[in-house]
Amino acid sequence: MAKVGSPSEERAGARGRVPSRHPEEGAAGAEGRFKTEEMILNVGPQHPATHGVFRLLATIDGEVLIDADPVIGYMHRGYEKLVEQRDYRQITNLVSRMDWLSGINNELPLALAVEKLMEIEVPPRAQYLRVILCEMNRILNHLMFFASFGAELGAITPTFYAFREREDIQRVMEATTGGRMHFGFFRPGGIKEDVPEGFVEGALAGVRQVIDRLPDYENLLVGNEIFKQRTIDIGILEEEAAYSYGVSGPIARGSGITMDVRKDEPYLVYDQFDFDVQSAPNGDCFDRFWVLIREVGESARIVEQAIEGLPPGPIMGKVPRVIQAPEGEVYVRCENPLGELGMYLVSDGDRRPYRLKIRTPSYSNVSALSYVLKNTYVSDMIAILGSFFFVLGDIDR
Amino acid sequence: MAQTQSASRADEALERVKSALKETISEPKVNFGTVDLICEPGDLVGVMTALRDSEGIECKFFGFLSAVDRSELGEGGGGLEVLIVVYSPVHFFSVAVHVPVAAAAPACPSVSGVYSGALWHERETHEMFGIVFEGHPQLSNLYLPEDFEGHPGLRSFKLPGRAVKDWPGAKDPEEAAAGGR
Repeated sequence: MAKVGSPSEERAGARGRVPSRHPEEGAAGAEGRFKTEEMILNVGPQHPATHGVFRLLATIDGEVLIDADPVIGYMHRGYEKLVEQRDYRQITNLVSRMDWLSGINNELPLALAVEKLMEIEVPPRAQYLRVILCEMNRILNHLMFFASFGAELGAITPTFYAFREREDIQRVMEATTGGRMHFGFFRPGGIKEDVPEGFVEGALAGVRQVIDRLPDYENLLVGNEIFKQRTIDIGILEEEAAYSYGVSGPIARGSGITMDVRKDEPYLVYDQFDFDVQSAPNGDCFDRFWVLIREVGESARIVEQAIEGLPPGPIMGKVPRVIQAPEGEVYVRCENPLGELGMYLVSDGDRRPYRLKIRTPSYSNVSALSYVLKNTYVSDMIAILGSFFFVLGDIDR
Repeated sequence: MAQTQSASRADEALERVKSALKETISEPKVNFGTVDLICEPGDLVGVMTALRDSEGIECKFFGFLSAVDRSELGEGGGGLEVLIVVYSPVHFFSVAVHVPVAAAAPACPSVSGVYSGALWHERETHEMFGIVFEGHPQLSNLYLPEDFEGHPGLRSFKLPGRAVKDWPGAKDPEEAAAGGR
């Protein structure tokens, strides 16, 4: 199979429909055109292109979306209120359920916030294992979206490949944590328990397999002519708009942004690994997907390096029996697979947080949807929705 | 190593923020690597615009907007405040802006004209804390039904299950051990 080049090389020969954004005045505006009336199309709440329950109120005129209003809240569980009633151990398992595709990543900022307030030193082995588990979870998450984005555009094959590779990594995660989705494995001070026998071999085999097969995946979709036609120059999100809406993660990096918390403000031991921040300049569906699939390789690289450097030693720092964060406030940001997950913790010295504001990536990302969907074609809607890689549990919290 | 680096970044950023915003802000400090400041509602839009556009600050990335009800925090408690966090992707530091608002009829100017991302965050804060964001184009509920009574984010709003009947068992292992279980 031919090797896939850079995004600009891949785009050069493509015959994407141009322009998609701002099609000339809409169908009804131009003189002498076929007259159409505005109508409201209700997409959802159950739609296969959304990972959860999500409704989109689309005002359409002929083939053009005049306005799109996302309706969220079908899965609102009120975590920010619930956490005020529960202690820090219990919260670990709550936040794990926000973005169910990246459970272990959700648990991290909470642990980091408590550790900062309590001044707990986390042993290096726990830090390395946290990085390994987080990056394996990132691979799982990205492969899931690789599968679903293909399926949404009518290509079912990627699903089978992605799930084959996912399973190998998933088994390692399951053997370590006991869970396949909701891990509940990070604790303030370290991790729940040390990894089982065979973890290193299993994890290495899993990520090496992903690295080996990644070029095939890229070819499968990125090199596909139909895929290009459906994604190039479709659903453009400009850099400035992305910043203003607070869009982060692979979606922002598809708009020419190189922001990545792991590089900019390294937490855990991310500053010790060699990896690149993937970014693409055009801000369309194609570039967002390109960044996503490239990030799989970067995560696999980090896992390889972290396993190589995995130090022996304890997996829990010195933690008192009852975790009571002292009075204070702290804001912690982490790079979740879908963007920046931030937690603002206000503690009054109790074993429960006084207030925990959870800034989830999908929430801010999806708030930009109505801007991006405006004046696009109805037929591009699903491609754009799919390329925003969101999980509803993460939006509604 | 990484922590000290980001702490010195925040210290330098604090000086630039101080000189750019002068007396529109109070109590500027660095808190765990985040620049932390207090701003009155009247100055908010000006402060946010300055944070976004001033050279050396350039906090273009909208983090979040929410509120903290401090009425039960510490002795005597505090008031209600709007909390905004923005991040500078150019100079790599975050700024947390605390805006105290009146608890009786809380109101605050909308910053959605400065950061588009605030549109949804202000709607959520409005329904959860009852804060009115003046100038917001459509301040309707995001999560709650329109006829929902009360503001669940406030400390005075108790979760119904807990208010009616206390949790039957021991809430903590320590209590359970003390009770002989």
